[in-house]
Amino acid sequence: MGSLGVNIPALVVVGISLVIGLAMVIVFGHTSDQKAIHVAKDRLKAHLLALRLFQDQIHVVLRSYGRIVMATGHYLRLAFKPLVFVIVPVTFLIVQVDRYLGSLPIPADHSFLIKVLMDNPDELNEASLRLPDGLATTAPPVHVPSDREVAWRVVAATAGDYMIKVQVSDQTFSKQVVVGSGLRRLSSVRLRGFWKRILVSSEPALPENKFIEAIEVQYPARNIAFVGMEWNWIWLFFILSLAAGFLFKSILGIEI
Amino acid sequence: MTRHEGISRGERRRLLACLAFLGLILLWPIHSHAYAGPGAGFAVLSSFWTLFVAFLYSVYAFFVWPFRQLFRLVRRRKAYGKAQITRAVILGFDGMDPELTERFIAEGRLPNLARLRAQGSFRKLRTTYPAISPVAWSTFMTGVNPGKHNIYDFLGRDLTDYLPYLSSAEIKGPKRSWKIGKYTIPLGGPRIRGMRRGTPFWHWLGEAGIFCSVIRVPVTFPPEKFSGVLLSGMCVPDLKGSQGTFCLCTTRLSSDKFREGGVRVPIERNGSLCTSYIPGPEDPLTGGSGELRVEFEIQPCRIDGEARFKVDSQTFTLRVGSYSEWIPVKFKAGMGFNAHGICRFYLKELSPEVEVYVTPVNIDPGKPDLPISHPVTYAIYLAKLFGPYATLGLAEDTWALNEKVLDDQAFLAQCYANHDDRERMLFDALEKTQQGLCACVFDTTDRVQHMFWRYLDDDHPAARHVPRGERPNVIQDLYARMDELIGRVMKQIDDQTLLMVVSDHGFKSFNRCVNLNAWLHQNGYLALKPGKTESGDWFEDVDWPHTRAYTMGLNGLYLNLKGRERDGIIEAGADADALKEELRHKLDGLVDPSSGRIGITGVFDCDAVYAGPYVDNAPDLIVGYGDGFRASWDSVMGKVTSQIFEDNLKAWSGDHCIDPRLVPGVLFCNRQISDEKPAIVDVAPTVLKLFGLPLPKHLDGKPWTVGTSLGKPIASANAL
Repeated sequence: MGSLGVNIPALVVVGISLVIGLAMVIVFGHTSDQKAIHVAKDRLKAHLLALRLFQDQIHVVLRSYGRIVMATGHYLRLAFKPLVFVIVPVTFLIVQVDRYLGSLPIPADHSFLIKVLMDNPDELNEASLRLPDGLATTAPPVHVPSDREVAWRVVAATAGDYMIKVQVSDQTFSKQVVVGSGLRRLSSVRLRGFWKRILVSSEPALPENKFIEAIEVQYPARNIAFVGMEWNWIWLFFILSLAAGFLFKSILGIEI
Repeated sequence: MTRHEGISRGERRRLLACLAFLGLILLWPIHSHAYAGPGAGFAVLSSFWTLFVAFLYSVYAFFVWPFRQLFRLVRRRKAYGKAQITRAVILGFDGMDPELTERFIAEGRLPNLARLRAQGSFRKLRTTYPAISPVAWSTFMTGVNPGKHNIYDFLGRDLTDYLPYLSSAEIKGPKRSWKIGKYTIPLGGPRIRGMRRGTPFWHWLGEAGIFCSVIRVPVTFPPEKFSGVLLSGMCVPDLKGSQGTFCLCTTRLSSDKFREGGVRVPIERNGSLCTSYIPGPEDPLTGGSGELRVEFEIQPCRIDGEARFKVDSQTFTLRVGSYSEWIPVKFKAGMGFNAHGICRFYLKELSPEVEVYVTPVNIDPGKPDLPISHPVTYAIYLAKLFGPYATLGLAEDTWALNEKVLDDQAFLAQCYANHDDRERMLFDALEKTQQGLCACVFDTTDRVQHMFWRYLDDDHPAARHVPRGERPNVIQDLYARMDELIGRVMKQIDDQTLLMVVSDHGFKSFNRCVNLNAWLHQNGYLALKPGKTESGDWFEDVDWPHTRAYTMGLNGLYLNLKGRERDGIIEAGADADALKEELRHKLDGLVDPSSGRIGITGVFDCDAVYAGPYVDNAPDLIVGYGDGFRASWDSVMGKVTSQIFEDNLKAWSGDHCIDPRLVPGVLFCNRQISDEKPAIVDVAPTVLKLFGLPLPKHLDGKPWTVGTSLGKPIASANAL
């Protein structure tokens, strides 16, 4: 909740859903073969009606089932063509929004885990955690050689942005930890490489071939209260953007 | 952040290079990223929904299947136990003429009909009195004479005011309405009452468990419930409630009105942009005091001879001389009351004037505001499967060609577009009806012959200006096209299927008009008010208290009977009989003085030709015009003119509303039929008997003796 009791995350999701719903309907309208989609949907409905109209003609019923499957495939092919145009921007947008709405900052005085994934399970003993003022470990590190992982349970006394450091041999690797509340841009993991990092991490890449594959901070998942239910933001976005799409497609006369 | 932890140049290059392939990433990232907006979401949801519905229905069908099969088995045993056939396919070609057919077969133009004749039978099919489509097709489906089905013409007459009404169906507003100030809110839908009586034979078939697909058989509006599917045909109104009102939108100033069937609407220019409107039904909220309209815009394109149309939110481009597809139009009355129609636009001219022809606004089959099929979803099913199609009973706009709003080519294009739709429906019905009855009537044969007989007739007044060598072979092509269709149907059916090709009547030239009201007036049977020598339409200025007989419609002649007509003066009984006899005597053999030909070859007393509970609604006499003659356009509309005979100069140049003995229909069958003089009234009992059903006692028709298998003569077959 915001300072005035306003559910800011829900408002953000509603706003994004409306904008995305509108934008996607417009893009869909301009990039799809509207006439072909209209025809494909009508054919689909016709085959469904045939099931009812000719229900005593078993050969018609069976043929109609087959045609429904075929027509569905055809319709899906037509409807997914606009995906080519929207998949890149929408994917990036969702990734970015997920940074803000996917997780909560770690509450002060709550313990959380910091996990480090090593290259070599034999080097787990060499990894050490250096915490800034305000953060403290609450237990000795736990080594899981089978997973090449070492984990620390940590607690923050006060809210703030912290930079933890993991030292292995003479190398130091840092990772941001956000403690507090509200809408903050969070990156739960710092990774090596390129592809996965683009979708999951918002921090610079870890150096290649340098002991550590990933450093992860386990932020609690954010649930958004909306119409009396707790929602993961992506499901709320899914439903609201669909609803917005339904609304705008009718207004704009676009066939989806 | 240390430098080695940042994004290197190489990485940046890879980032750019790989953006194009980012879609592939969706194959493995976290689930939330697979959602790429409402477009894909809708697609997935809709598809899922469709498959889900289909699945639910499958489950339902699976569980009830044994019971349905059991039920069907019992019914089927009853239905097909004594049946000689498992399927009957009846192709109705309205107005297909036996003499022309024989001629074209002899010329080698109709190979499939020739084959059908060789393998089975070809007969002339006696038609009804009068030989008019709604009458004949009503007899076809009910197996009774008009005295039992109550259809005698397209029009009936109101005994209280001598005005016409549509004989097949009555459409009234809702029973109750709520008046608020100047608005009238209808409470309920329109009331539709079918006027045709009698029971179509597919009702009996359906009752016995034999599935029927019936497509566009005339006088099936409003559709009646039965076990099967039916799409209504001739007599389905347009959205205005008329039998077809076209619209000519034009920048040409004219106060001329079309005789009937059309309205002229001005186009207003605003720079290069032109605007006009399509007149629609009456506004239900104002109690019918105003008409609803749909406005549209025409914007000439840069390409010469093309214009961009905008109708509601739809835009399309037309070239001069081309039709649009069916365009949905919504007439909005406010408060949620809408009328849904479809129409086609035809761009006639762009320069110097702008003229656009708009077809009558048909009831939208995808959103039918009136019931045009049984079940209602059948019309929707066809619309979804094949796209919008003409629903108007008389869908081919003969009036527009008569009024020279359309030219020959534009009219033919319209006819054959409708015909193509009908063919698609037929073949779908054939596929769906592997057992049972599949009946489909094609109107193209009737409309094209009506409008193009002038080119077949050596000396038709409407085509004297066209040299014989330049006359198009429209009717020859029409028959060849129907023959080709029959050939395709023959390929679709097996040996166990009975195929019948029937027409309700034949055709003859219509080159001379007879105004029977003028004859009645000149011979002292019909009086005009003092000082009048002619009347207006619908007996305006007729002096009824001094009138003994009158005619309206195509063949009916009525006595002005005391106690029946409002101002009747003829006593029923002996006086009426004497007058009928007198009229018959004088009219039979009436000669056209200009040519010496006989204009009327028979006058038939309805008491002699009809029997049944509805004979009181019949005309008193049926007038049978001679070959080449027909009731004049004015006479049909109850108008008295000074001339009895005159040339027919209209494109409507062929007709069948003459002496029924001169215009029998055709009967082709892939089985041998022994009867030499079959009649259209026999079709229903024949089909019922072939399916092994008992014949209802009230039927007038007699079942034919039909060979039981293809090509086998009656003598060697187990004939019925």
